[in-house]
Amino acid sequence: MAKANHNGAGENWEAQLRRGCLEMAILAGLWGGRLYGLEILRSLEQRWQLALAEGTLYPILARLKAEGLLQSEWVEADAGHPRKYYQLTAQGRRRTREMAKSWSAFSSTISELVGPVLEEK
Amino acid sequence: MTNASALDPRVERYLGKLDSALSGAPIDEKIDLLREIRSHILDAVEGGTEVDRVLGGLGAPDELVERFRMEGMLSRAGRTFSPWILLRTAWRWAFTGMKGFFVFLVALVGYLGAFVMTLAVVLQPFDHNIGLWVGPRSFSIGTSNEPGLHEVLGGWFPLVITAAAFVIAMATTQFLRWIMRRSAPQTR
Repeated sequence: MAKANHNGAGENWEAQLRRGCLEMAILAGLWGGRLYGLEILRSLEQRWQLALAEGTLYPILARLKAEGLLQSEWVEADAGHPRKYYQLTAQGRRRTREMAKSWSAFSSTISELVGPVLEEK
Repeated sequence: MTNASALDPRVERYLGKLDSALSGAPIDEKIDLLREIRSHILDAVEGGTEVDRVLGGLGAPDELVERFRMEGMLSRAGRTFSPWILLRTAWRWAFTGMKGFFVFLVALVGYLGAFVMTLAVVLQPFDHNIGLWVGPRSFSIGTSNEPGLHEVLGGWFPLVITAAAFVIAMATTQFLRWIMRRSAPQTR
């Protein structure tokens, strides 16, 4: 998903797909516990191969917090400067679960649809 | 401990421009945002990323602030019934692309139409020539001296046009709330 096709239309489609999954990916990334901004970015990139620019992430985190899905706190880190940690609120956990269920159903349907396409050599 | 902002003037310049771009923002939000971006830069540089690459990933300060504003405005607009907030958000959105421009156009036509209809109702007691004029191939709300047109509502004009203006305003509002709630965040 992170590698772009050489075809322009393919790149646009992947960008659209990436944009649609972004919010779910961020919320799901926080399911296991609190993370700060750079950790969220690295987690998305390393675990889910979802490259995201920093200038995109922080405004989205601010919006999700304003919508009540995330809460944040500043923590004095060992690094010497404080870090802003984000974690899911109860509402955020409910929303993430709903999105995950919807995604699971959707991806199963699509996988069935493209199965013959992938089998053909 | 590495303090990138003390070591690198590029970071200081970036944060200074970000501070300027945030003029007008509530002070607590401004302080929090500056603190978070500074913390991010320090973490990234201490992790081995080049300063230019970190600042490039954040984007130009004014563009970063604009993204914060759009995310915040779309989120608020999706939860409000205020035509003024919705129209203002659509206006800002219009500059970001065709979708935003289309949404602004719908907002403008919808609210302007409702306003004109309401104005006609308010002015009708002072000008009895105001009404809903219908002809073989056209209709208009207002005054008309065009031959072939006749006024169809009579005494029902205030009630019918007020109801129509209300329906148009509500439909415009609901459409804007819906489209702003479902608008996906921008990616780079």
